[in-house]
Amino acid sequence: MPSFAEVVDTHKAMVFSIGWHFLRDRVAAEELAQDVFLQLYRNWAGMKSGNHIAFWLRKVTSHRAIDLMRRRKSRPEMSLEETAEPTVLERMQDSLLASYLERMVASLPEKQRMAIVLRYQEDMNPDEIAKVLGMNVSSVKTLISRGLELLRAKTSRTLGADHRISHDTV
Amino acid sequence: MTPFEEELKKALARREPPAGFTARVLAGASQYDRERSAAAGGFLQKLRSWRLVPVLAALLVMTGGIAYQEHEHEARGQAAKQQLLLAMHIAGSKLHDAQLAVREVEQ
Repeated sequence: MPSFAEVVDTHKAMVFSIGWHFLRDRVAAEELAQDVFLQLYRNWAGMKSGNHIAFWLRKVTSHRAIDLMRRRKSRPEMSLEETAEPTVLERMQDSLLASYLERMVASLPEKQRMAIVLRYQEDMNPDEIAKVLGMNVSSVKTLISRGLELLRAKTSRTLGADHRISHDTV
Repeated sequence: MTPFEEELKKALARREPPAGFTARVLAGASQYDRERSAAAGGFLQKLRSWRLVPVLAALLVMTGGIAYQEHEHEARGQAAKQQLLLAMHIAGSKLHDAQLAVREVEQ
């Protein structure tokens, strides 16, 4: 079993990034990550192995991030359709497709967003995601495929056919 | 994985948290330990003070018992003294009667 400090060092990027990609708020993501690690510290006696710790961290971070987003009623979630099209200037600022995609992912509905984050940030398969989110596998597969459809549609419409990721390639 | 998914994966790559993150988490863990120790200390103090209650109760019972025994002993002593005085009084009067009878015989 690794020490608590080693676990924090090993998994801090994972925990912080799940919060960051889900919340798109650096301060909130850091607070969330700190709270998750302190909860781990309080439950340290129940940890059985390194794999168990990694699974526990993903599960607790995901659920806490979703709960936090639900409590933030003052900041209503934007739908993909409501998300403002980036201006030319924004497109210049968001010159990298990556930052544009990050914004689009953040506009997905909660469960869909978390499923996409766990699938593409953590490289988890639908079975693993289903265990973390407490859902059945077919629902997770549906969430991911619908999320991808929305993201593709929005990206191709916004960035146009001249972009290197055209509709044909996806 | 499609090219779009590859791009998504790049977009959602892990990021490092702000500098000093580990130190802040470890400081929070130490703070938790201190609070837990303080809470446990307070509980032990309470436990110690509550543990004194049966000891004090036992002392009270023992003291009461001894006082009661002493009182009983004293009461028995008083009764015995009264009985002795009565017996001496009876014996004295009998002796007086006997002395009077002897004098009458002598005269």
